[in-house]
Amino acid sequence: MATDTHRGRGSEAGGSSGILTGATRRIENLSDAQFAYLLLAPMLVLMTVIAFWPLASTFWMSLHADALFGADALGRFVGLENYVALLTGEIDAELTRPFFDLSNPFTSALTVTFIFVVVSVTLETIIGFGQALVLDQDFRGRRWVRVAIILPWAVPIVIQGMLFYLLFQPGVSFLIDPLQSLGIFSATPTINSVDSTIIVIVADVWKTSAFMALLILAGLQSVDRSLYDVARVEGASTLQRFRMVTLPIVLPTVLVAMLFRTIQSARVYGLIETVSSCSTVPSLSCLVVSTFSARQYGTAAAIAFVTAAVIAILVMIYVVTYADTESGVI
Amino acid sequence: MVGAGRPSRRAVLGAAATGLAGGLAGCSLRGTSAAGDGTLVQFVANSTARDSQDVINDALHEAGLSEDVFVEILAVSSSTAQQQYSQWLSAGLEQPSLLRVDNGWTIPFILRDQLANLSEEIPEVTSRIEEEFFDAGVQTATGPDGGIYGVPLFTDFGLMLYRKDLLAEAGVDAGDWATSPPTWERFSSVVAEAAEATGTDHGLTYPATVFEGLSCCIFTEFMATWGGSYFGARENLLGSVGERPITVDSQPVLDAIRMVRTFIRGSDDPHALDGYAGGVSPQAVLSWDHQTALSDFSDGNAVAHRNWPYSILRTGAEDAFGEDLGVMPIPYSVPPEEAEFDGMGGPRSALGGWHVALNPNARNREAALEVLQAISQDDFYLAMTEEFGYVPPKPALLESQAARDIDVVGRYVDTLKFAGERAVPRPVSVVWPRESPRISQRVSATFAGDRSPQAAMSALKSDLEQIEQSVPEARP
Repeated sequence: MATDTHRGRGSEAGGSSGILTGATRRIENLSDAQFAYLLLAPMLVLMTVIAFWPLASTFWMSLHADALFGADALGRFVGLENYVALLTGEIDAELTRPFFDLSNPFTSALTVTFIFVVVSVTLETIIGFGQALVLDQDFRGRRWVRVAIILPWAVPIVIQGMLFYLLFQPGVSFLIDPLQSLGIFSATPTINSVDSTIIVIVADVWKTSAFMALLILAGLQSVDRSLYDVARVEGASTLQRFRMVTLPIVLPTVLVAMLFRTIQSARVYGLIETVSSCSTVPSLSCLVVSTFSARQYGTAAAIAFVTAAVIAILVMIYVVTYADTESGVI
Repeated sequence: MVGAGRPSRRAVLGAAATGLAGGLAGCSLRGTSAAGDGTLVQFVANSTARDSQDVINDALHEAGLSEDVFVEILAVSSSTAQQQYSQWLSAGLEQPSLLRVDNGWTIPFILRDQLANLSEEIPEVTSRIEEEFFDAGVQTATGPDGGIYGVPLFTDFGLMLYRKDLLAEAGVDAGDWATSPPTWERFSSVVAEAAEATGTDHGLTYPATVFEGLSCCIFTEFMATWGGSYFGARENLLGSVGERPITVDSQPVLDAIRMVRTFIRGSDDPHALDGYAGGVSPQAVLSWDHQTALSDFSDGNAVAHRNWPYSILRTGAEDAFGEDLGVMPIPYSVPPEEAEFDGMGGPRSALGGWHVALNPNARNREAALEVLQAISQDDFYLAMTEEFGYVPPKPALLESQAARDIDVVGRYVDTLKFAGERAVPRPVSVVWPRESPRISQRVSATFAGDRSPQAAMSALKSDLEQIEQSVPEARP
C-alpha cells in the first residue's frame, strides 16, 4: 500500500513535470519576436487593468452629468455636453475658477497653465543651459558648484513649497515690505493671483533648472572635444563655436529635456497648493481636483481629458516643429 | 536546448517579467488586525481623537457603553475627510461604522442617501436631541424628511478673545462683555486705543485668507452682525435652493465689507466707514488661517482675536494668559429688531461643530448604535470638554455646575451659551461646495481692495444665481 502511494505521487510528479517540460519546449520554440511579446504579456495585462481601463472609465464618466442628489456617483448620460459646456464657458460659475477667460488671464485655468508652462520652461532651459555650460568646464571646486546647483532638485516639493510660502508670508518674511515699496508685489502676495503665479514660477525654476542642467550636461559631455580644436584652428570665436558646434549637437538633448518639463509643467498642482492655493493660482490640474472634491465627477473627468488633450497638443508642437532635427530624437 | 539541472535564460527572463508585473500590481500579503474579545466598532475621526482613543473609550464606558464594546478610532485629516467619506460610502463599505462629520457637510451626505436615519434607529435618542440640544446644530443634522442623521459630538461658535490686562492698562473696563458685547464701532475704537497705549502690534485679528472658513464663518459673522446674509432671512439658509433670494449685494452686506476694509486698509480707503477705527487689523489677516492668526494672538501680538472655542484652552491656561483672557460673543452693528433680514443682526456667531453619523452599511450595527447612545450622554460631553475643550451641544449642560467646574473653559460657559443660542449656520446645500470658493474669492478680493464692495458683490450675486439655478435641473 505504501508502495502504491509512493508510485501514485511519483506519477503525479511525472505528469506535472511533463506539462512543465512541454511548456518550456514550446517557449523555447518561439521566435524572438513571439518570445518578446510573451514576456510583455504580463505587463500588458497589468497596464490594461491599471491604466487603460481607468482611462476608458474616466472617459465614460465624462459623458455623464454631475449627480447632486441620491447615492449614485453619476447623473444621466449627456454625451459631449460636459465638453461643450466647459469650452463655451457655460459652467464657469460652477467651477472654482473659469476654465478660459482671456480678460482675466491669471484667474482662469487654461491661461494660467499656459503662462506657467511657457515662462517656467523657457527660464529653466536658459538657466539650465547656463548651469550646464559652467559644470562642463574644468575648474577648481567644480564638484562643490555641482552640488550647489543640483541641491534644489533634491528638496521635496512640500519643503520647497513651504520655503516659498514663508518667504512671501506677511509678518514672517523680510521680503514683503521692500517688494511692496518697489511696487513689485502686493502686501499679501500669496492670495494675489498675479503675485502668486510669479512666486510659483520662481519656485519651480529654482528647483527644476537643475534637472535641465543635468540633462543638458549629459549632452555636452558627449561632444567630441577635437571639434572645438578644429574650430579654433579655423579661427571661430567662442560664440561661433557655441553656435556651430555645441548647439547643433546638444539641441536634441535640450528638446527632450524641454519636452519632459513641458509635460510636467502642464500638470502642475502640488507646488501651487503648498505655496498658495488652487483658488488663487488655478491650473488645469487644480480644476480637476477641485471639481472632483466637490463631487462633480462628470465635469472633473471632462476637464481631465481636456487637460490631457492640451498636453498632447503641446507635445505635438515639439514633434512637428523639431521632427527633422538631425538625430531625430523626438 | 534546455539544460537538465538549471533554468534556461528565457525561463529566468519570464520569471522576472511575471515578478515585475506582480510587484507593480502591489501583490503583497497584508495581515489583518485582531479585534480581540468583544465587539469592535470603527469610528473615523481625526488624529487628536485617535491619539486619545483610550480616554474616549473610558468616557464612553462611563457614559453607559457596554464593557465588551470597544471603539477603534481611525484618523482622517479634516481637510480631506469629506472626500474620503464620499468615496467610502459610495463604495458601500461596512467599515468604518461611525463617521465624524462636519456640521457644514452633513446635509449633502443626507441628500445623497449616504447616512443612516437615526430617527428610525434610535428614536429615543433623537427625540432628546431635538428637544434639548442647540437648535442651530440640530438643524444641520436634519434631513428634508425631518429625520436626524447625526448625534452632535460638540458644537462651535465664533468667539472674540481679548486681553483684559491690555484693556485695563489702557483704562478700559470690559466687565460685562461676556454676555453683552459692544458694537463694532465701540469695540474697534477700544482695541485700537489699547493697542496704541500698550505698544501691541495689532488691535484685532481674524483669519481671512481665501478658504472655506472665510465663506462659512468669518464673513457670515461680519454680515450677520450688520443684519445681512447670503440668502435673506435665516430660514432660507438651509433650504429652498434655487428659489431663495440672493442678497449679497444688499446694504448690510456692503456695510459689513466697508467696515472690514476700514479695519484692514485704514480710514483712507475710498470705501471706509466713518466712526470705525482704521487700520486696527494688519493686512496680513488676508493670508492667515485659524492657526496662524491664533499663534499671532498667543504670542501677544494682538489685543483681540476671533477664533473657535478650542482656542480658549490654549490661550486661557495658566501658562498662557490665564484669567487675563477675556472671551465674548462677536460684536455687532445693527440690533436684531433693526436688521434687514429676519434672524440676523445683534451679536451673531457662525456655527461650527461636528456630528457622529452612522454608515448605512455599518458592521456591528447594534454596537455602533450603542456607541451613539453613549455619545449623547452628559457625562461623555463633560469629559470631552475637560479633555479637549469641546463645547457640549446642550445649552442646559453649559449651565450646570459640572460645566462651570471644568478648568479654563468653565470660566466662559455663560459666553458659550449666549453665542450658541445666536449661532448662524452656513447655508449648506448640495451646491455649497461650489458656492463657497466663489464667495471666499470675491470677498477676499474686495477686502484686499482689488475690487469695490459693490462690484465684488454684484459679481458674486451673478455667480450664485448661476449655481443656484443649476439645482432644479439636477433634481431627480
